[in-house]
Amino acid sequence: MSHIPRRALSLPRPLLLGGAILLASTLVAAFPGAVAPYDPLAMDYVNLLAPPSAAHPFGTDNFGRDVLSRVLHAYTIDMQIALFATLFPFVFGTLVGAVVGYVGGTPEAVFGRVVDAVITFPFLVLVIAIVSVLGPGLGNMYIAIGVVGWVFYARIVAAEVKVQTRLDYADAGRAMGYTHARIVFRHLLPNAITPAVVYWMTDMALAILLGSSLGYLGLGAQPPAAEWGVQIADGKNFMATAWWISVFPGIAIVITGLGFSLLGDGLAEVLRGRR
Amino acid sequence: MSLPEFLGRRLLQLVPTLLFILIVVFVLVRLLPGDPASAILGDRALDADVERINRELGLDRPLPVQFWAFLKSVATGNLGNSISMKIPVTQLIWERLPITMLLTFMAATIAVVVAVPLAFVAALRRDRVADSVIRGGFQVGLSMPVFYVGLILLTVFGAKLRWFPVGGYGDGFLDHLYHLFLPAVTLALSLSAILMRNLRSAIIGVVDAEYVTFARAKGLRARLILFRHVLRNALISTLALFGLSIGTLLGGAVITETVFAVPGAGRLMIDSIYGRDYPVVQGLTIALAVLVSVTFVLTDILQAWLDPRVTR
Repeated sequence: MSHIPRRALSLPRPLLLGGAILLASTLVAAFPGAVAPYDPLAMDYVNLLAPPSAAHPFGTDNFGRDVLSRVLHAYTIDMQIALFATLFPFVFGTLVGAVVGYVGGTPEAVFGRVVDAVITFPFLVLVIAIVSVLGPGLGNMYIAIGVVGWVFYARIVAAEVKVQTRLDYADAGRAMGYTHARIVFRHLLPNAITPAVVYWMTDMALAILLGSSLGYLGLGAQPPAAEWGVQIADGKNFMATAWWISVFPGIAIVITGLGFSLLGDGLAEVLRGRR
Repeated sequence: MSLPEFLGRRLLQLVPTLLFILIVVFVLVRLLPGDPASAILGDRALDADVERINRELGLDRPLPVQFWAFLKSVATGNLGNSISMKIPVTQLIWERLPITMLLTFMAATIAVVVAVPLAFVAALRRDRVADSVIRGGFQVGLSMPVFYVGLILLTVFGAKLRWFPVGGYGDGFLDHLYHLFLPAVTLALSLSAILMRNLRSAIIGVVDAEYVTFARAKGLRARLILFRHVLRNALISTLALFGLSIGTLLGGAVITETVFAVPGAGRLMIDSIYGRDYPVVQGLTIALAVLVSVTFVLTDILQAWLDPRVTR
């Protein structure tokens, strides 16, 4: 790889744009009350299905709830989904992947078969099946995603650690008499974790899509909670007459998802060097 | 390794995978809430009746015995009867799965037709306006949930403009295609985004490769290089991705079928989960997983045929 270090401090545009979107999203998620004009659950029976106006910029839904306030309050749940649904898979998958990639042999072969089997199940079907076993709700959704999701991280890290294991500095570590744990976690993993971190960003975007899909199907966040998928499901029977109930939460999903993928792309650029 | 040897090995790897699938499905279905006896008899069933049903279904036997019986019946193509519809699960699968397969196939076709030309335009005009517009557009497409895209297409082209039916499956093959068009476009969106992205970087990688420079130095015409060398090699990497996407595509079909009321396997899956129809959930999960495994093997074979390095 012969890449010339270019203006070292100029960060790629996707990273800045994605970072800005996510910073704003996180702030809204932390303090939704500061930006939302109304209580997201307050019903106003005089203003049912009101179109967007100065008083209600995104209109109101069939209970007279302010759609803008609901979209803003939903940031709290949906940003949480992005983090909680991916944190365990990232940590656990990375640890398993590091060990499997370093040890190789039988554990690696067994792991390979587990990966084969897991990717053979349509991910969504498996998650839906697990959620229906455990019962609908966010907590069970995290468990269902966690049970399956770690495999993808483990696969990425295992492949990467395996490459690192063959390099000279790994041998040097062994020659120095370092423990296996020290070699793997202090020396190999920091060099192998980049693709997993990049995948984590993409995965958070996917988690928001998955979480809102389950909310839409009635298996994720439960009404009357403000969650984008739940909101879109709430509005689906009013699409022809009151499109604003479903359309605005969808735009929020797209923008947030875009934020994560841009950040992921930008990070990949910075960490790997521009191709 | 020769090609037949590669095939043999690849098929042999299917065995543990399929066994693992069967174990997971068996365990999962037995963990489902509620029991089939009360689903059949209702909540106020007599204990004696519950026992009789459990005995008839073999649910009173130890789990390993049940698993062995399960393996034997799956091997002979017997997946039990649907509890709510009282017909063999295999029959249900034969009725519904082809609908999902047609939908998935249409979506894949649409995705390829859209993604391949755009990937070429984007790659050959790298970092220019056309590239940015195409990539930006697909980036947005990739961030849209399937149910949202479906709902919008359904409202605009179905309910408002009335160009397409708002759901169902229709009668006769052409009518099926007509009914499945909007769902297929919905399903194709994210796949075409992934394909486009991958194909674009594959084309860029190939264009920069030494053998293309060599071909150019030999004086081969640009178009010939593009189709004979660039396309073929770029397609190999796309094919692998395509095989891996089949599971995601089938998962997306579950949601698409729910939004568009298409009576396919995905819709049946959701209905059966809500209706606690164990044998159907079990049978469908197995059928979908087998479908995916077979697709994996087929794409591997195609890949090996296109790229001799794979078998090495």
